[in-house]
Amino acid sequence: MFQAERRIITNSPYTDSFDFDEIRDFISGASKNLFISHKFKNSNKILVQPRGGFPTYDKVFKLYEEFINAKVDILPLTIDSNTRLNDYEMAKKMLALSEESDENMLNGYPLITHGYRTTREMVEHFDTPISLRHGTPDARLLVEVALASGIFEIEGGPITYLLPYSKNFPLDKAFLYWKYVERVCAEYSKLNEPINRESFGPLTATLQPPAIVIVIQLLEMLLSLEEGVKSFSVSFSQTGSMLQDIVSSNVIKKLSRKYADIFGYSDAKIHLVYHQWMGAFPRNKEFSDSLINTSTVIASLVRADKIITKTRDEAFGIPTPKVNATAVSNTQYTLNILKGLPNISDEEEEENLIEMVDDIMEAVFNDPADTLWRKVFNSIKNGIIDIPFSPHIINSGEAITVRDKNYNIRFYKRGNIPISDRCLDYERSKIDLNGMSLVENIIHDIGIML
Amino acid sequence: MRVVTGVVGNDIHVVANRLIEISLKERGFEVFNLGVNTYLEEFIDAVIETDANVLLISSLNGEAEGWSRDLLFLKSRFDLDGVLFAIGGNLSVGEAKEEEIIPKYRAYGYDLVFHQVDLNIGLDIIEDTLKGKR
Repeated sequence: MFQAERRIITNSPYTDSFDFDEIRDFISGASKNLFISHKFKNSNKILVQPRGGFPTYDKVFKLYEEFINAKVDILPLTIDSNTRLNDYEMAKKMLALSEESDENMLNGYPLITHGYRTTREMVEHFDTPISLRHGTPDARLLVEVALASGIFEIEGGPITYLLPYSKNFPLDKAFLYWKYVERVCAEYSKLNEPINRESFGPLTATLQPPAIVIVIQLLEMLLSLEEGVKSFSVSFSQTGSMLQDIVSSNVIKKLSRKYADIFGYSDAKIHLVYHQWMGAFPRNKEFSDSLINTSTVIASLVRADKIITKTRDEAFGIPTPKVNATAVSNTQYTLNILKGLPNISDEEEEENLIEMVDDIMEAVFNDPADTLWRKVFNSIKNGIIDIPFSPHIINSGEAITVRDKNYNIRFYKRGNIPISDRCLDYERSKIDLNGMSLVENIIHDIGIML
Repeated sequence: MRVVTGVVGNDIHVVANRLIEISLKERGFEVFNLGVNTYLEEFIDAVIETDANVLLISSLNGEAEGWSRDLLFLKSRFDLDGVLFAIGGNLSVGEAKEEEIIPKYRAYGYDLVFHQVDLNIGLDIIEDTLKGKR
């Protein structure tokens, strides 16, 4: 049944014809160096991964050369927005124009248009794990092509690639399309080292409350493990408060293991990914360097397994390969000089965060629907899960967050999120609007790094 | 007072849109927020459906200009005389003078035009205008 579905999905005029037997053989015999799951196991440092992708094969090749010279650990492959929206015809046209003129007519690599046979040559040449970065609600074909190319880490998920990116793509469809992705990843995971799935914790990167970020990370993890995935990365981005980053990471590590075990997936490996600041960047490039460096210090403190880098050109657009690679080597430098950092925790904060996460998780599990994805779907629909600043119509947008004086993100209004009165009182006790209006506070709090 | 608001055209700048919604609610308005990426026809439909007093469209980087040209035509098809039409944000592509922008958008059919005006000042003016109308 599933194989028949896969044949239909992969039978597309916009990409190579699929030879499933050949792909199985390729993955079974693929170099261990292509698997990030293998690298996680055998490395004792934080892996460094930038973002990046260009329309043409040659430009991606040159980008990868720059990254390798900068001692990158994991290569990225960022996909263009037409492909993300399944507009393969436009991706094809724009790739042709990019190849003719040397102008970049796409904001990423149109992987489906290039196809797996071509892309695999590049992947095998660099013999380094590659992570697929996209933002696609329907990534079925994209992921088939990625895995056939030797790209063995797939970012995304039905919630984290939908609520921040789309206004009205149907959420129930996204769950089913991602279920397909998980199943393909699970099946290929049996052949060699496991395929790693990674969730996208930054969400809208605008005052995201850690409790909701963690709930969504845990739920996407469970939805993935329940289809048979054996290697999963939960992630979050720098909150703006070092304390909140430390508390978040302690809690997400504890709870991801706890929930994976409760649901019977104790054999699954869970990793933590930390995103350098994902909010608005300063236009002063020296300040950006300083911000990025602070992010790296925090990633070390929270003992992340992987850090995803930003560049000093963030405020200005897509960075050049040179600038991008410099960010990688600077991050490696900082990581190398930070040894034996202290273990920090804050019991009161951790307790408060764990209680909020557990209460929300319980409400999701108590939804009367028969499957986990339907429970999650209903919980988003009725605002039990609600993220600030989502463009999606299904997100209720009732919860409001602001920063306290130490820049911790706190619930000002909980909307329909089922956190207890006690936790809400705790959160609100930290807030001081300083005599300004709520909106003035929010504007200030979004722009703290400017 | 009922307000319909949202971001016009192929524009997904959600942050300002949410801040407008929160501010309007704080001022006691009943808000119907159509969110980002909304077509002019959808705004007009929502104004009729909700019997709104105000339509407040927001836009960034000149996206509104191309989408506003049909406003007079749409207004002429329905009885919308009692409705205050307002638009605000960054209303031009690149730099432009207020003296040029405001008359242009007034000619499109907006009663109030806010080009790079602070949100609270804009909302104060809307409230004053509504009181004056009463």
